[in-house]
Amino acid sequence: MSGAADLVAGALAEEIAASGIRVFAATSPLTVAAALAARRLGRPDLAIAGGFTRLDADPQPALTLGEQGLVGARPGPREGIGDVFALLARGAAGVAVAPAQLDARGRTNLSGIGPPGAPRTALPGTRGLADNNDTPARVWYVLPAHSPRTLVEAVDVVSGPAPGLAAPRRLITPAGLFDLTEAGWTALWLAAGGRELVDGAPGLGVTVSDGTPERAAPPAPVLAALREADPHDVRAVEMADRAQAGALWAEHARREAAGAGG
Amino acid sequence: MTAGLDDLIGPLSAGSVVAVGGAGLVRKPMAASARDLVVVSFLGGVDVELLLEAGCVAELHSAGVSLDAAGLAPRFRAAREGGTISFVEWSEGSLVASLEAGARRLDSALTRSGLGTDLPAVNPWLRETADPHTGAPVMAARALVPDLALLHVPWVDDRGNAHVPGDLAADGLLARAARRTVVTYEERRDLDPADAAISRVWIDATAHAPGGSLPSSCHPLVRADLAEVGRIAAGSAG
Repeated sequence: MSGAADLVAGALAEEIAASGIRVFAATSPLTVAAALAARRLGRPDLAIAGGFTRLDADPQPALTLGEQGLVGARPGPREGIGDVFALLARGAAGVAVAPAQLDARGRTNLSGIGPPGAPRTALPGTRGLADNNDTPARVWYVLPAHSPRTLVEAVDVVSGPAPGLAAPRRLITPAGLFDLTEAGWTALWLAAGGRELVDGAPGLGVTVSDGTPERAAPPAPVLAALREADPHDVRAVEMADRAQAGALWAEHARREAAGAGG
Repeated sequence: MTAGLDDLIGPLSAGSVVAVGGAGLVRKPMAASARDLVVVSFLGGVDVELLLEAGCVAELHSAGVSLDAAGLAPRFRAAREGGTISFVEWSEGSLVASLEAGARRLDSALTRSGLGTDLPAVNPWLRETADPHTGAPVMAARALVPDLALLHVPWVDDRGNAHVPGDLAADGLLARAARRTVVTYEERRDLDPADAAISRVWIDATAHAPGGSLPSSCHPLVRADLAEVGRIAAGSAG
């Protein structure tokens, strides 16, 4: 079991359930687990997108099943690829992303470290960061570590622009839950030890007020929903360190190959 | 029409624009090709890695290239860091806008995707301008028209329609934008044409190519060969 994975996935599940979005775009097994848990937390009608044209998929948390896990056996109607951008523009969708850098203004980077077009370290590329950050859609930045390498004062390359003030943007890390406001990032709650993690990544400029609550674990109903949605604890892999993640990966791969993906 | 894949693809030369379907580790058609191509891969993965390994790529248009859970794509990283190819970086939305313009044979299409980012500084196909009606800032995405779109699907029905039960990604748009579309498939089946993902009206030729997506997947018939993807991620293609 992973306390950090439960805390992060639980926070995302609560956020999705409370957001009122129509569609959540799943981008990893942990986000699938959170969305499935959100269905159990009062949003049974939530659509979960498993790709660009399957906006109402039938996913399960899985590591090695590919589309079998992400799209599932009974997806809803097929949509056109442009429809996902229409949903974002209307604010009807929400997405959780993991940029390589996130800055004090809410800008994101997945292109590279170094000057634009001349990366010292090349990363995958802009992907959808330009699209979802420039909309009123809900965007959650979900990161496995509260690291000063990732959380910076200014990104090297702007893949996702600074969001408008009306666009809800929240950051979820093992340090806690943070909201982007006109004044910058503000802590909504902190995990145990979260204040030290925040202090260790000063570039983001997080404001922590004296009354900021602390949370050691997700509320019991959230944890129960998570465990029901992800009984094999697949969510833990994303939050594990490299050595631990490799062992967990191998364990889940064996189970999924044996046909016990659900 | 069904024939040999090489015959269907026809002659490609340096500078030919070839679009590759699928996304990441999903339905990537694997085929040998000419050198110095302009490759369009909406979300690249093993396709880009193997084409780079074979020296086929002069210019790459993509919104991102990675090996998904297997990590970053080492040849793509090296090519970008070393400047050995021209990487034209798009966002997903702006590349879709460009291909939509290509499909309609327009010169460009307007989109918000890329506004406020560094993309226009690295992608000459994107130019910020003013909406002619409102004056609001918009991005004009120049049309991409691939010479060839090469797609791989699990099934083709008796009429030649392509069936994809999983995510279609940009494949339907690539088929519409390209001058010529070739679809390879795992199996021919008697399926309801109404359930097809890509109508045969967008398909110029089909070819039977079982296992043609490996090491990427072709749901629900072929799982990704994660061991081979791991070798590619480690920098050594099998």
